[in-house]
Amino acid sequence: MATNVFKKYLSLLAFTAPAFVIYAIFLLYPTFSGMFYSLTDWNGLNRDYSFIGLGNFVELFKEDPDFLNSLWFTMKYVIFMLILQNGIALLLAVLIESRTRSKGLFRTLFFMPNMISTIISAFMWTFIFSQVLPQLAEKLAFSFLDQQWLGDPKFSFYSILIVSLWNGVGYMMIIYLAALQGVPKSLKEAAVIDGANAFQVLRNVVLPMITHAVTICFFLTLNGAFKVFEVVYGLTGGGPGRGTQVITMNIYEEAFSNNFRYGYASAKSVVLFIIVLIFTLIQITVMKKKEVEA
Amino acid sequence: MRMQRLNSYLIRLLLILGSLVAMLPIYMAVVNSFKTQGEMFQSFIALPTTLHWENYSDAFNKINLLGSSMNSAIVSFLGIGGIVFCASLAGYKLSRTSGRLSNLIFFLFVASMLVPFHSIMIPLTRVAKGMGVQGSTYGLALIYIGLGVNMAIFLYHGFVKSIPRELEESAQMDGCNEFQTFFQIIFPLLLPITVTIAILDFLWIWNDFLLPLLMLTDVNRYTLILSTNMLFGEYNKEWPLILSSLVLTAIPVILIYAFFQKFIMEGIAEGAVKG
Repeated sequence: MATNVFKKYLSLLAFTAPAFVIYAIFLLYPTFSGMFYSLTDWNGLNRDYSFIGLGNFVELFKEDPDFLNSLWFTMKYVIFMLILQNGIALLLAVLIESRTRSKGLFRTLFFMPNMISTIISAFMWTFIFSQVLPQLAEKLAFSFLDQQWLGDPKFSFYSILIVSLWNGVGYMMIIYLAALQGVPKSLKEAAVIDGANAFQVLRNVVLPMITHAVTICFFLTLNGAFKVFEVVYGLTGGGPGRGTQVITMNIYEEAFSNNFRYGYASAKSVVLFIIVLIFTLIQITVMKKKEVEA
Repeated sequence: MRMQRLNSYLIRLLLILGSLVAMLPIYMAVVNSFKTQGEMFQSFIALPTTLHWENYSDAFNKINLLGSSMNSAIVSFLGIGGIVFCASLAGYKLSRTSGRLSNLIFFLFVASMLVPFHSIMIPLTRVAKGMGVQGSTYGLALIYIGLGVNMAIFLYHGFVKSIPRELEESAQMDGCNEFQTFFQIIFPLLLPITVTIAILDFLWIWNDFLLPLLMLTDVNRYTLILSTNMLFGEYNKEWPLILSSLVLTAIPVILIYAFFQKFIMEGIAEGAVKG
C-alpha cells in the first residue's frame, strides 16, 4: 500500500516537474521576491538594503501624486473599457448573428484589427491622429476633428480609448458570437410567438442565456484594462507631462528609468496586483450568481 | 413584414459602416505607405499615383525584416513547443490524480493566472540577469514557457476530463508504461485543445512587446515588433517609411490569420469558455 502511494506521488512529480520548475523560476519566485522587496529600500544595485516594513506603501499613497494620478487615470480607463468594449462587442455580435448571409465576412472584418499587435496599432493610429485628422478637419471644415488628439490629456484619453477599442473589440465579439450561437432558436421563437419584440427577446431571453460569456468578457476586459501599457506607450508615451500615465507605465518608469528605487517600484507592483485581484474576485463572485443554467 | 425588411437594411447599414471604421486605419496605412511624403500631405485618402516600392525596400532593410521575423519565429516556436510539452504532461496528470498535493499544485498554477505581468517584470529581469539568460533568444522563449504554462495547464486539465479513463487502463494492460501511454494514446487525443493553446500563445508571443523590450539588448536578436518599435522612435517624422514598416510587420500575422481563420475563431471561443 505504501509503495502504491509512493508510486503515485512519484509519477505526479515526474509529470508536473518540467512545467513546475520553469514556472517556479519565472513566475512564482518573481511574484514572491517582488513582494519581499516591496518591504525594503533596495535600490537594485547594492548588496545591502534594509527592511522598512510598510514604509513604501505609506509613501506611495501619501507622498506620490504621480502614482495616485496614474491610478485614477487607469481606473477611469477601466470603467470606460468595461462599458464600451463589451457594449460594442455585444452589439456587433447580435447584429452579425441576426444575419443569415455574410456572417463570416463581417466577423472577419471586425476581428482583423485584433490580429495586429497592440503597439503596431498604436503607431498606425498615431499617424491618423497626428496627420490625417487635422488635414480632414481643414478640408472638410469639421472643427471638432481638429484637436490635440495626442497632446492634450483630455483628448488623448479618448484617443487611447479609441485605439484600445479598435484593437480589442473583435476578440470579445468572437466570444459573444460563440455564446449567441449556443442559444436555442426555439426559445427565441417561443418568445416572439408570445408577442415579444426584438429588444424584449434580447433582454429577457438571450442575455440571461449568455451571462457566462458576459462574465468571461468582463473578466478579460477588467484584467486587460488594468494592465494597459502598449497603447499608451505607443500613442502618448504617458505624456504630455505625466497626463496620460497609467499604473503600469508609472511602475516601469520607477524601476527602469527613474532613480533605481527597486523596492519602491516593487511596492507599486504589489499594489497593482492587489487591485487587480480584488476587482476580479468581486466581479466574478457577483456575476457568477447571476448565471443561469441552460 | 415591411418593418422587418427595414430592420434588415438598417442592420446591414450599421455593419457596413462599422466595418469601414474597422478597416479605415489599415487602408490609411497601406495607401500612404506607397506615397512620397509630399504626395501624402496633399491627400491622405487618395490612392497613390505611382507605387513607391522603395519605401518598402527601405523599411525591409531598416527593420531587418528577415532576421527579426526569424527571431520572432524561433521564440514563438520554442515557446509554444515548450508550453505544449510541459503543460500537457502536467495538465493531464493533475487532472487524473486526486489528493491534496495534486490539488495544491493545480491551485498554484491557476491562481498565478491572476498575477499581472507588470507586477513581476522587475524581479523577472533580475532573475533573467542572475541566470544569464537576459539578451538571449532561448532565454526569452524559456520565460514565455514559464509565464504561459499556467493557462495551458488549466485548459488541458479541463479537456482531459472528456477522455475516458478506460483508454489508459487498456494501454497499460498491454504493457505501456505511463509515459508511453501518455505520448502514444493521450497526447494525440488532446489535439483540439493543443491547437487552441498553440494559436492563443502564438498571437501572444508573436505580438508581445514589453517582455522583449525588457530582455533583449542586441539589435540582431530583436523580434519583429521590437525592430519596428525602434524604427518608430528613430524616424518618427518619415511617415511613408514608418507606415510601410508597420504594414510589413502586420503582414505575417494577417497571413497566418488567413490560413488558420477557422481555428483562431474556435480557439478564442474555446479558450474563453474553458477559461
